[in-house]
Amino acid sequence: MSEPNATEMMNRLLNGLRLAVTEMMTAMAMSEVVFAGQESCDAFSLSSEVVGLVRLDGQLHGMVGVACSKDLLREIVSRIVGLAPADLIMEDLLDGAAELANMVCGGMKTKAQIGNVNLSPPVSIVGQEYIAQWKTNRPTTVFTFQMDEGVLRVYASL
Amino acid sequence: MKLLTIDDSRTIRRVISGIGAMVGFEVLEAENGDAGIKVLENQGEEVALILLDWNMPGMNGLEVLKLIKADPRWAHIPVMMVTTEGEKDYIIRAIQAGAIHYQTKPFTQEEMATRIMEALGMGGL
Repeated sequence: MSEPNATEMMNRLLNGLRLAVTEMMTAMAMSEVVFAGQESCDAFSLSSEVVGLVRLDGQLHGMVGVACSKDLLREIVSRIVGLAPADLIMEDLLDGAAELANMVCGGMKTKAQIGNVNLSPPVSIVGQEYIAQWKTNRPTTVFTFQMDEGVLRVYASL
Repeated sequence: MKLLTIDDSRTIRRVISGIGAMVGFEVLEAENGDAGIKVLENQGEEVALILLDWNMPGMNGLEVLKLIKADPRWAHIPVMMVTTEGEKDYIIRAIQAGAIHYQTKPFTQEEMATRIMEALGMGGL
């Protein structure tokens, strides 16, 4: 079987990413998540209250970010770990944001089956009044997922 | 009998602890390979199954697995990899190094509970 070219790898990863988000929310958070659209933008720039970021390198370089409100993250982590949202501390939210990004990217990589792509340890940001930006000359694809408690966005620049 | 989860994510450690409790086991937690080895040195005789992450700061899961399997005190303890790395190459390397099960994240509670029981030779739920 021939090696996939860059465009094919990117398409496989984006398809895998979209499926991985739904799978992760269903399996770990037991939450229904509805894919609500996809758009492309020039900049990889995130300013949601919560962001989990993972860098990709190897055969293909890129960045994936999972972003939502703090309230939605609190709800998701609460469902995953089985604790009341009010009982979660900041460390839970930071770890939760990182682990969401980690699981989504792991799922994406497995589904894409393109071989040598490595994932960095996840970076998490929980706060307000900031902009996280990654300089790239590639477009960013933004997937939007609707949940009962809010909107989850997944950014991918590959 | 106790389970030992070695994972840098407190979220995952909590999930596994909850599932372990659900199937009747106390779960010991370690946030990296070094901490996991310390737990084994102190309570290794009580550990019936190790659930081991792959990507962690410091030693990665494969390195921890090789250390465990090279030590006669713990080589008999079954190890299940629990990781986001789901590619064949990773699975083969883990099995060759002595892991008996390989569970990718994400997982459902039922999947993990079944895997734990299988790894302990107790059959599925």
